[in-house]
Amino acid sequence: MSDTAAPRATAPRPARTGQGQGALLAILALLCVGLSLATDTFFSGENMVAILRQSALVLIVAVGMTMLLVSGEVDLSVGASLAFVGCVAMDVTNQTDSFVIGAAAGILFGGAVGLMNGLVVTRLKVNSLIATIATLMMLQGGVYLFTREAVQNGHQLTAFTTLSTGYVGPLPIPVILAALICIAGAVVLRLTLFGRTIYATGANPVAARLSGIRPGRVKLILFVVTGLLTGLAGLILASLMNAGQPTAGRGFELTVVAAVILGGTSLTGGRGTIIGTLLGVLILKVIDNGIIILQWDQNLQMIVPGVVIVLATWLDMVRGRARDG
Amino acid sequence: MPPSSDMATRPSALGRLFRRNETALALCLLLLIAVFGVLSDSFLTTRNMTNVLGQAALPLIAATGLALVVIAGEIDVSIGSLFGAVALPLIVVMNVTGSFALGSAAALVFAFAVGAVNGWLVAYVRLNSLIVTLGMLFVLRGLIYLYTGQRAIPDDAMLETFYQIGNGRFLRTLPYPALIAAAVLAVFLWILRYRRFGRQIIAVGGSPEVARLAGYDVARVKFATFVIAALLTAIAGIIMASRQGSAVHVTGIGFEFQVVAAVVLGGVSLAGGIGSLWGVALGVLILAFLANGLGQLNLPTEWQLVITGIIIIAAVTLDESRRRKR
Amino acid sequence: MAEAPALDMAGIGKRFPGVVALDDVHLRLAPGKVHALMGENGAGKSTLIKILAGVYRPDTGTIRIAGEQVTLQSPRDALARGIKVVFQEIALIEEFTVAENVFLGEYPVGGAGSIRWDRIRADAAALFDRIGFGVDPAARVRDLPMSQQQMVEIARALAHDARIVVMDEPTSSLTPAEVEQLFAVIRRLTSLGIAVLYVSHKLDEIFAIADTVTVLRDGRHISTRPRSEHSEDSLIHDMIGRRIEALYPRTRGPATDRDILRVENLSAPSGLKNISFHARAGEVVGFFGLMGAGRTELAKAIVGFDPLRAGRITVDGRPLAPHDTATGVALGIGLLTEDRKREGLMLDLPVVQNATLAALGKWARGPFVDFAAERRATQDYVDRFNIRTPSLDQPVRLLSGGNQQKVLIARWLMRGLKVIVVDEPTRGIDVGAKSEIFALIDELAGAGLAVVMMTSEMSELLGLSDRIMVMAGGRITAEFPVATATQEAILNAAIV
Repeated sequence: MSDTAAPRATAPRPARTGQGQGALLAILALLCVGLSLATDTFFSGENMVAILRQSALVLIVAVGMTMLLVSGEVDLSVGASLAFVGCVAMDVTNQTDSFVIGAAAGILFGGAVGLMNGLVVTRLKVNSLIATIATLMMLQGGVYLFTREAVQNGHQLTAFTTLSTGYVGPLPIPVILAALICIAGAVVLRLTLFGRTIYATGANPVAARLSGIRPGRVKLILFVVTGLLTGLAGLILASLMNAGQPTAGRGFELTVVAAVILGGTSLTGGRGTIIGTLLGVLILKVIDNGIIILQWDQNLQMIVPGVVIVLATWLDMVRGRARDG
Repeated sequence: MPPSSDMATRPSALGRLFRRNETALALCLLLLIAVFGVLSDSFLTTRNMTNVLGQAALPLIAATGLALVVIAGEIDVSIGSLFGAVALPLIVVMNVTGSFALGSAAALVFAFAVGAVNGWLVAYVRLNSLIVTLGMLFVLRGLIYLYTGQRAIPDDAMLETFYQIGNGRFLRTLPYPALIAAAVLAVFLWILRYRRFGRQIIAVGGSPEVARLAGYDVARVKFATFVIAALLTAIAGIIMASRQGSAVHVTGIGFEFQVVAAVVLGGVSLAGGIGSLWGVALGVLILAFLANGLGQLNLPTEWQLVITGIIIIAAVTLDESRRRKR
Repeated sequence: MAEAPALDMAGIGKRFPGVVALDDVHLRLAPGKVHALMGENGAGKSTLIKILAGVYRPDTGTIRIAGEQVTLQSPRDALARGIKVVFQEIALIEEFTVAENVFLGEYPVGGAGSIRWDRIRADAAALFDRIGFGVDPAARVRDLPMSQQQMVEIARALAHDARIVVMDEPTSSLTPAEVEQLFAVIRRLTSLGIAVLYVSHKLDEIFAIADTVTVLRDGRHISTRPRSEHSEDSLIHDMIGRRIEALYPRTRGPATDRDILRVENLSAPSGLKNISFHARAGEVVGFFGLMGAGRTELAKAIVGFDPLRAGRITVDGRPLAPHDTATGVALGIGLLTEDRKREGLMLDLPVVQNATLAALGKWARGPFVDFAAERRATQDYVDRFNIRTPSLDQPVRLLSGGNQQKVLIARWLMRGLKVIVVDEPTRGIDVGAKSEIFALIDELAGAGLAVVMMTSEMSELLGLSDRIMVMAGGRITAEFPVATATQEAILNAAIV
């Protein structure tokens, strides 16, 4: 007997996640192979490490952004926050002569920004796009009120610089941190109860509420997490540049969002994986790297995420159509 | 007639006036002007007032275009880069041909192309407009850097018309940009009220399904709004280039946020189908007078960004809570 | 028939992937008559209407309008050919005025190509007079009640010189008085020679307004007869093919004496006024009311989804925290919503995740999900409830309405509730699955739950409830034990 609901599909669809990531892996492999053939320098250990190092910064924030997008919200203030965090961290380290306190200040500042975003979105019920754009403006203005020029490294603490330049075995510290955060994020999303509430919140916030979940709290937590991760990334960046740059991070949020969407996370919530994000980040950074070693104009690096993000959405839509039959 | 099943009532005329967003905004604007007038001597001078109107002209022109896009149910954040990018074809063609008309034509054609790409991807390929225009924002900025090598391109043609557009004043008081902005506003106020196309935009944003049933080509309407927004942004960009006397590669960074802020402040709903250009105009003026007033008080310009951010949040919160009471 | 029929659809067939929606259906409308189209959910009525509206194209068959064969390319085309379909979802632009909506897409323009608002207002007022509809043309649609919005749509039909007007379940949101008004307008339309196709599953309305009745079942044409030749039984028989008694099995014993749910003096901003009632373990309390009476608002208020202004809710003696569904669920009260797709299901997620949503803590090893345990539990319910799905990982979007509802019921049972609130439990579900849902509700009460059921279907109400509460205007207006309840008494109490 027929039913008034959508007609039943005649065959079960394969698991979405596997299919999407397979395609990404293929693209990544293709890019690597292509670049190795085109140049000598691509496939060197040094270059690989460089790519990983550049990916680390984006990946750290992208893990938080993935979870946030899965829950149905977005945070476009991460770039501006990155810059401010760097200035704060450097300044506090200068003043206290303590790496620990400076680092804590930076990370907590990032967390505070995340908290503010979260409260505005969950309590004042402002659309997260607008709210985080507003935060972005406040941060961009605020950082210049905090410091007119770059905050130089006055403390010369080795711990500070080692954060970005140090190694653990063959891998730079930022890469290790990114890997750990990546694994933690994947575990939380896939394997924990909290991860389930994230998916539910994004897939259907009303159903989630009715089932006893508090979507507001989930989103607030995710905003704070994203903020803390941005704090960590900002700290690493300040360490890398050896200064707190108020102009840093321009366009960073776009790269992060581009990578996350490329990785298969949906803008509307309820869908996304950390693995996908990892592949998305790697693809973008390999492209960036390719532009440099092929000695193309570096300004292309700004164009690439823009094009990628559009292509990624188009791919996502095509995949969606195939899924619905 | 027995009471009906739904408990809706029609508000009184006066109630409607007070409920209207525009009234609140107008009051805010007056309050703002009054406060700054008291706090600073140089604020309420003719010179200053006309200066502000001249400055507000640029975001107003662009905001008119963006408002159309948002009313139709989409968004365009690429206007910041386009605002800066149009200076390139303008200046280059002017330098080569010595003609402002040809330069402007080049700029408008360029803008048309950008708007058409945005419009095609959103309306016909059906991609998310935030993503598409976010991507375009970066692609255009990258192209600007690429072409200019991150340096400004100066105006060598030194045409008088070009100079006057951005810097001249009508009867030596009212800056031409303000007149242009007023004209643009008037034209589109008329279109939204008295032209089928204008009503189509509102209908498409309010309910695309109903619009389709009424025979409207939803895709074409949305496409058109993107093109119009791009063309209007180009006009604003041409005026800006006139003021700067060159194509500066960093022009327009952050401009999109200003314009979105004004549109949102003006009561245009991000959901589409609602919004008045009067509100947008008031929103632009509020932000412009705010920036000017703060400058008069010698506050660093960064405060504008901070305060604009706060205002956006306040405006949207109020709008949301008012919408929920309905 | 002396003249050509206003509409002649013959041999209409339509398939969708995996489903035959219509198979060799014919329909003939005479001008100036009201023709009813009846059938249960899933019979094919909405597909047929959508074909008429130009939304779908039939795979086979022909359509003739006033004797001339046509192909309806699009909704615009259908409208141009004189067919106006008034759907349940009002197709108006809320921000626009009533007058503008009537002339949507057809604005009269003046010299400079500008819209002539004065003419729009005047023409609209004239049209409203013709159908006896008194509303200010300058009113915004947003501010009007549903019944008046429908009238605007009918006026729009007239503006287009429609010869065929289709009304799809027009009375689901109307009070009896408004239904009378609607019938008056329909009679005016027929007096103008317009053919009206009235789609409904409400028997009493059909008997009041229709001249001819066509019944569809499972996508096939079952019968077309003058209304006078039908009795209630014969109509039901044509529609569902079997007796109505079989629909409401009762296997549970009598309700207990134990009050599980107590609602005291509940008032809410959503329009509820001083509501008090109680529900006992093992009892089904059925709430009846017309649209706007406040049933869904009450359902959402007592589970903590909507805020309260005053009042107390206790579940098994423990009070609910205000405006907090989490404590409600923890105390054992849950809501099965009316709108499955928008408020209940996570459409792209698999069956197993949808089923376990309310009971996440149950299969946990610390903070981690115990996948094996949750799959076992879900499979258990899939078997018990006969949920038809190829696998536990099937995205729930691909299940039929009845099976989706079963997944949602399983969700609550996995949680373990003391009180379950169900709002329109069989909306959008075909007859076969309906009886399974009824059996489940019966089983729930039999297992000791208190069931609070909101419904607008009289037969459901009478067939399932132990006690009936009637709501109107945000209040409870009457209470009946089911043994003494009559349709008239219930309906009377449902009118403010």
